[in-house]
Amino acid sequence: MLKDVTFGQYYPGNSLLHRTDPRIKLIILVEYLVLVLVAESELAALTSLAFTGFLIAVSGVRFSVLIKSAKPLIFVLAFTAIVNLFFTVGEGEPLVSFYFIKIYQSGIRNAVMMLLRLLSLVLGTSVLISFTTSPLELTDAIESVLSPLKKIKVPVHEFAMMMSIALRFIPTLIEETNKIISAQKARCADFESGNLLKRLKALIPILIPLFVSAVRRAEELADAMECRCYHGGEGRTKLKVMKSDAKDYVFLVTVTLITVAVFFLNRLTWSEVVGFCADIF
Amino acid sequence: MSFIEAQGVEFAYSPEEDKVINGIDLKIEKGSYVSIIGHNGCGKSTLAKLLCGILLPSKGAIFVDGMNTADEDKAFDIRKKCGMVFQNPDNQLVASVVEEDIAFAPENLGLPREEIRKRVDAALATVDMTEHAKHATYKLSGGQKQRIAIAGILAMQPECIVFDEATAMLDPTGRKEIVSAMKRLNKEMGMTVITITHYMNEAVEADRIIVMDHGKIISDGTPQEIFSEVEKLQSVSLAVPQVTELMYLLEKDGFDLPRGILHAMDAADVIEKFMRRQSEND
Repeated sequence: MLKDVTFGQYYPGNSLLHRTDPRIKLIILVEYLVLVLVAESELAALTSLAFTGFLIAVSGVRFSVLIKSAKPLIFVLAFTAIVNLFFTVGEGEPLVSFYFIKIYQSGIRNAVMMLLRLLSLVLGTSVLISFTTSPLELTDAIESVLSPLKKIKVPVHEFAMMMSIALRFIPTLIEETNKIISAQKARCADFESGNLLKRLKALIPILIPLFVSAVRRAEELADAMECRCYHGGEGRTKLKVMKSDAKDYVFLVTVTLITVAVFFLNRLTWSEVVGFCADIF
Repeated sequence: MSFIEAQGVEFAYSPEEDKVINGIDLKIEKGSYVSIIGHNGCGKSTLAKLLCGILLPSKGAIFVDGMNTADEDKAFDIRKKCGMVFQNPDNQLVASVVEEDIAFAPENLGLPREEIRKRVDAALATVDMTEHAKHATYKLSGGQKQRIAIAGILAMQPECIVFDEATAMLDPTGRKEIVSAMKRLNKEMGMTVITITHYMNEAVEADRIIVMDHGKIISDGTPQEIFSEVEKLQSVSLAVPQVTELMYLLEKDGFDLPRGILHAMDAADVIEKFMRRQSEND
């Protein structure tokens, strides 16, 4: 039942993206999100698409894995495409007019753009972060990138600590859930039949013991952490220090340039680009 | 003053509740191997937490290496001196990767990176888990997890480790691994080991046994002394090791055998001698 949990799925590897400093990757992620969401003109969209393709290529993640990760989103993707296709009211004559259904040219354009944009977002962020960054690297990077916020008393260290502990306990709690399910089944609990409401109600005898035990675990963990001299983030050192080198900076600068380029490409038309190229040569 | 000293300690989880610890005076010397036994709810786990300074006594005082556990300025130093391994291995591992978990304590102490690395490697070697350094903690067996938990404490370089029923949730193999680790820490590294248990075969390994009942110490002595008093242990619903019980029953049936035999081989020797003597007499 819980075997297919793909949260924070990390594929160990040694690709360029795996080796990139996770802090740099976080900054690149922000730029990437801006880039994909801002791209409006065909040229800008093509650039963002090409960049997404580049990310996928250098991540070394197998294509079948990517397809599998996008599968649960098929419904959302299809829904947005359809909504855009049918509900965009464009100028001029509709291309197709069938009773109340009217499809305009701009509708098709919007649908395709939206589809590509969402797909880019999902695939790009997964290869950039989840597939190529171990959860611990990620929490460390978040703590480090957000550390300036400590000055205005945002509990950045505590937040990162909670996140890494949450990730640490996911497999433990999944195991426990499976045990509870088996135990309740042995007491003739029925999880599979009945309508939705009935099945939701059947989850209560799973959730309550799970919560109780999670709270008990938390108490014990707190004791164990205190025993090991935990006293918050102050004065804490790290076994693993994050290092960024030349390639990380080159990567960062390149992405920044592409993002800026997308802003400009948004304003340019094809003829302007052709004219611009002609000027150069 | 002894390494750990409890003076008239009483403890209740809240003022309305009954006292869990009811007047305990105790001295534990440096480098000793002490086992605390008692049936469920006799206060032995609470005593362990008091000794490490996780709980503070409601009355009386506990000193670790001369520092009062109630002294907040010293809390850090006391925890550094006296580590604790808990019952459930899952609930004391902080990180998802073995070496990162072991590094947790030295990281908290703010040690430089090279020193952390050194301590992590040394701790891993001590519990014989070096080849698992990069493994995910949740994939290990119970005994292995518990060894990682011990390594996590060792990386702090404490002088004393308290094991609070650290073997209770393990299978027999895991239990053996942990008991042999305890012995090694005590005999080879000179560490003070305090183990709370209800497995008598484990208690036998210690140099000194403390028996608790209703928040009080009722016996205190070497394993031989403690397990010679079979009736007294049975009166507080504690069992004795099987061999000891066998010898006790034989003695009760009129055979002239010594008391306080703890190991099967010793028992075999004693019985052999007894048989020889019998046949010589005949």
